[in-house]
Amino acid sequence: MSLYLLPLAAPLPLLLVAVLCAFRAGIRPRWIPKLAEASALLALLLSLLALVLLIARGPGDSDLIGVNGVGLSARLDAVSATMLMLVSFVGWIVVRYTRTYLDGESRQGAFTGWLCAALAAVLLLVGAGNLIQLVVAWIATSFALRRLLLFYGQRDAAQRAARKKLLFSSLGAVALVLAIVLLIAGYESTDIATINAAARAGQSPTLITLAAAALALAAMLKSAQFPTHGWLTEVMEAPTPVSALLHAGVINGGGFLLIRFADVMVLAPGVLAVLAMVGGLTAIFAALVMLTQPAVKTSLAWSTVAQMGFMTLQCGLALFPLALLHIVAHSLYKAHAFLASGGAVEQVMSTRRPGPVAVPDGAAVGRAFLLALFIYAVIGTSFGLVFGLQHESPQALALGAILIFGVAYLLAQGMADAAPRTLTRRTALFSAAAAIGYFSLQVAAGWLTAGTLPATPAPDRLAWTLMVLAILSFGSVAVAQALLPLWADHPAARGLRVHLSNGFYVNAALDRMLGSRSVRKAS
Amino acid sequence: MLMPSTDVAAPTATSAHEAAQRAGLLIPPLWPLASSVAVNPYLGHVSESLATAAARLGRVAGVRCTMPRTWYAERIDTGDISDADLAAALRASPTTMATSTVAQLKAIATISVAAPVALPSVAELATECSGIDWSGIVAARISHWAAGYFDQGQALWSAPQERGAYDAWRAVASLDLTPEIDGLKGFSTLVARLPETAERTIEECVSRLGLPDSALESYFHRLLISLGGWSQMARYRQWQAELGGGSDSTLIDLLAIRLAWEGALQCQYASAIQACWHDAMEAYAEPLTPTGDDLVDTILQEAYERGEQRKLAALMAGGSETRSSARAALQMAFCIDVRSEVFRRALEHVDGSIQTIGVAGFFLVGVAHRRFASDVVEPRLPVLLRPHLKSCSGEADAASARHDHDVRIGRRATRAWGRFKLAAISSFAFVEATGPIYITKLMRDGLGLRRSVNDSDPKPQILPAFDLPARVDLAASALRAMSLTGDFARLVVLAGHGADVVNNPHASALHCGACGGNAGDVNARLMAALLNDHEVRIGLAARSIVIPEDTLFVAALHHTTTDAVTLYESDYASATHGQDIAQAKHWLRVAGSLARDERMRRLPGATTAADVFRRARDWSEVRPEWALAGCQSFIVAPRQLTATRDLGGRAFLHDYDWRKDQGFGVLEMILTAPVVVASWISLQYYGSTVAPELFGAGNKLLHNVTGGIGVVEGNGGLLRAGLPWQSVHDGERLVHQPQRLSVLVDAPRQAISDILDRHDGLRTLFEHRWMHLFALDDHGRMAWRYAGKLGWQSTPEARTSEPASKAALA
Repeated sequence: MSLYLLPLAAPLPLLLVAVLCAFRAGIRPRWIPKLAEASALLALLLSLLALVLLIARGPGDSDLIGVNGVGLSARLDAVSATMLMLVSFVGWIVVRYTRTYLDGESRQGAFTGWLCAALAAVLLLVGAGNLIQLVVAWIATSFALRRLLLFYGQRDAAQRAARKKLLFSSLGAVALVLAIVLLIAGYESTDIATINAAARAGQSPTLITLAAAALALAAMLKSAQFPTHGWLTEVMEAPTPVSALLHAGVINGGGFLLIRFADVMVLAPGVLAVLAMVGGLTAIFAALVMLTQPAVKTSLAWSTVAQMGFMTLQCGLALFPLALLHIVAHSLYKAHAFLASGGAVEQVMSTRRPGPVAVPDGAAVGRAFLLALFIYAVIGTSFGLVFGLQHESPQALALGAILIFGVAYLLAQGMADAAPRTLTRRTALFSAAAAIGYFSLQVAAGWLTAGTLPATPAPDRLAWTLMVLAILSFGSVAVAQALLPLWADHPAARGLRVHLSNGFYVNAALDRMLGSRSVRKAS
Repeated sequence: MLMPSTDVAAPTATSAHEAAQRAGLLIPPLWPLASSVAVNPYLGHVSESLATAAARLGRVAGVRCTMPRTWYAERIDTGDISDADLAAALRASPTTMATSTVAQLKAIATISVAAPVALPSVAELATECSGIDWSGIVAARISHWAAGYFDQGQALWSAPQERGAYDAWRAVASLDLTPEIDGLKGFSTLVARLPETAERTIEECVSRLGLPDSALESYFHRLLISLGGWSQMARYRQWQAELGGGSDSTLIDLLAIRLAWEGALQCQYASAIQACWHDAMEAYAEPLTPTGDDLVDTILQEAYERGEQRKLAALMAGGSETRSSARAALQMAFCIDVRSEVFRRALEHVDGSIQTIGVAGFFLVGVAHRRFASDVVEPRLPVLLRPHLKSCSGEADAASARHDHDVRIGRRATRAWGRFKLAAISSFAFVEATGPIYITKLMRDGLGLRRSVNDSDPKPQILPAFDLPARVDLAASALRAMSLTGDFARLVVLAGHGADVVNNPHASALHCGACGGNAGDVNARLMAALLNDHEVRIGLAARSIVIPEDTLFVAALHHTTTDAVTLYESDYASATHGQDIAQAKHWLRVAGSLARDERMRRLPGATTAADVFRRARDWSEVRPEWALAGCQSFIVAPRQLTATRDLGGRAFLHDYDWRKDQGFGVLEMILTAPVVVASWISLQYYGSTVAPELFGAGNKLLHNVTGGIGVVEGNGGLLRAGLPWQSVHDGERLVHQPQRLSVLVDAPRQAISDILDRHDGLRTLFEHRWMHLFALDDHGRMAWRYAGKLGWQSTPEARTSEPASKAALA
């Protein structure tokens, strides 16, 4: 039997516990919470073993357990190993959290079961070696997640969120099935590695653009891209571990899909351009909405939409290694942020304790941006010299510029006239550390996925336009953000804030369309 | 159009305004979670009986004020409520009842009654006729605005807050397109055309809705209730403003906002709802009388409480202990908090030479405190009082100032990093640069490896210092409050208390209510410093409180989650007391482990002491400790009358010796302050248990902290006040049985009556039985029950031991 079946083993213990839970669905089911954690830990262990296998033997594929290309098989490479590790690690933390958190709930067993099932489905998805398994796991994830979202099904708001989610995940599933059919037809195989290899060899069947477009559509729907993001900002209607799992695991399905089929995607530059546009728009839009949210989990949810937008932008620029890095980094951060969101009272209080925030003026912000660019140049060049990144793609450089705008915001806070020197030094130090951290991770991501993911193609005219557009728009938002206290009181800004805080009414319109605000008729 | 009946007076501007004020007073205040305190949710109802409150809240909120009938029937079956209890409760009922015998009462207890249904607002009628969930939409829209308006710093781009609530809302609602998308035509235009002031809007809407004068108060109350915690937060602002001698109109503004919605919905659905609305207005105008069911429910509740009092009386009748006259090896004063009872009992058990004392945990030092390196002023005293002193942590010297500055810079840098994490573009950079670090954070928190941040500030001090006579006054009243005016031990420990929990929005609810929802360390340290002050001791001696030279006061903090105790012995370096402190620490460790064992038995899933410590650090723990759940009684008496009894962590214990209290000034202070605070706590538990949907904070699993001040459930919506369901229920059963506090006082009845006579606010709590009052005899027996109108009734305990109770009559 092939060692490469190992990734398929990871979901098994979780599935087993999920089945057990069906028989012990109630309150304080004996052993179940402990078993669930043990199974999640085992899944993590198996994922680790898969990583060891990858390091020892290199990437590979298992045989198919099934017939005619339909069945179970595993693909082990840098992408799937990373995702397996990520999902099983976050999964373990979330299941462990659930063990105590859900204690005393009347449907504790059922919750634990669906949680394990959702995790198993995501593991099956990320380790999938063939298209059929991929699509089945994709749909199973949505299904398990729906059960979790409706854990408190009597809540109207939960129903509203689930209704939106159902609409988009159904559309997404249809898009994915279409993509799969086209891929199978085009490459005459269900094997993912075979398809990617063929695509990388330049085999570009007819309708490949349509297949890529369908993949992109499925990904955008799964990863809550504008204007289909609404459900994601409403799923706090389920217990906190669901939010953590969703925002740190399931939501990445879209990005994973794009990365998994990166070789196919680069064959359709037009589709990539659309992804970049939608992603960039989502990132900016959601990041602005996030700023206005007064509730901690809601703000985190909008932040996820923004981060998914940014990740989609990276895919659109064909920076797949960076997108993978983003998925990992964001998931770890967001899982922690959700699970620790009970600390928000203390956090808000602690920001008020050391006195007022020194507001930087235009000149300070200008200095901060110049300094940030300087840091970018120095650190970027030194990394280039050390790691030989002279061939860094223009896309990566553009993205680095966007990120350095963020660092400028940190610098700007220390550069306000009212800020003491020691604070300026401290924030400058933080900024340098952030920049170094970013470049190191970027180098590491590129190195780890080299060979697995396609190199970023030289930008065409459209890609250049998009890059310039992205730098300009992200740059101006960054400047506006740094100067926010200076213009937020303008009546026009206040008006904009009202519309932004409502997410430009996308959810309200959807609720109206889906009849979510109508009172359920007593039957 | 149907007009309201002609015999009712149309409201004038003044009457509408007055009705709004009255309705506002029925709303309890809600303190922000950073330093929350328990609030009596029936605060506005204390001048009426429970049955009347039930009738009122049933009509405007659709909630019960007692448990469901089956709950009482179960207790009748098990004998927890005896026939005698039922009979006594029946006799005590102020209203004559159709159900007049115990048998009838028992029969009726088995018949379930449906929960009351609130009278409809226009929003509800509009919901019914249009099929669009208008009540939900109104709550959601107002909440959406209010969350921004009350935000204390969660959103980086905060909503404008400098204007009054009404103005701020108009500015937002005249732009918000959501209501129109939801189907309310022209709402934003209508808002833009509303009058400039909230008062005018209220008047306009009242006349548009055709409301008669007599319906206003109930109807306004209904609307304010429909805004949940937001009205309560507004009421808090009013409370704080009035405490400082000012005024605040946020609550009136909220009413105007809610009425504006009513008016708009009335415009759109006028013809469809007019008949129903007419009926509703008549119902609002009807005078308030408790129904037969309300009366039966309150009698059953009273009977349950009498049953519990019967058990308490049996416990109290155990006879008193005489204190040995030898000098105590250690005196330790604790907060009256019910959690101290467990620890005190354990500590006394460890060694007979230890004497414990109960007193309000702020030790009478009410301060406006600034923590080390902080600009935020925290009132550390009961919320009924205004701080007259200021304090801060750290010395007033250059070294301390430098340290303060360094710490601040560190915190500001951390804050800048936090903003970098959350701002629009920088959040992408943050994630890409530092995301992987969260592996370690997830591991650390997931495995509970984070040490609980016991950020003990440096020693606090009162600044500006106040003059000697005032210091002596304060020290003397604190000692008198503890009835500790002689027989000082070599070591006297003053222990405040606080909880160690992580990731818990309701952490402050586990801290000390007497210290304004903070831990009690600062107050204890300030009082210890005062009592160690040589000049103060000289002043005290002049008032015949002689503290021996060799007596040292040391402050401490009792960690209620783990029953560990931190001693602040380094505040007063003493060469002579090293031995005493080491001994005290040993005793405290042993007592802590005893107390932990006892507490553990109530915690679901805790089997070892390690579990208790784990809970304090576990970020996923929703029941780290039970706080004051189960609280039943407040005992004002010398410790001899309660010592050796296992009061099960359900009693507030305030030490008091009436023989030392000339003029009963101390008793007056105890009854008017700590007892009232305890009634707020007891009734908060009561409300959160019987009406969790209105007076409880909901499900912790769904909590979403809003604005840093409160929680909402899920995506948003109404702010939730009170205790979370997980704080009163362990998943299978209630851990707090709803009952009104029984106050037991060891003092002559006449003295108690005199105090009640002077304090109407206090008396009314007992007259309407929001608390029960008993006078103890010399043996600590619950000999006399307060029967209302300054009258007392002897209890069975007194009758079985007539000669003994004579003394109490004296």
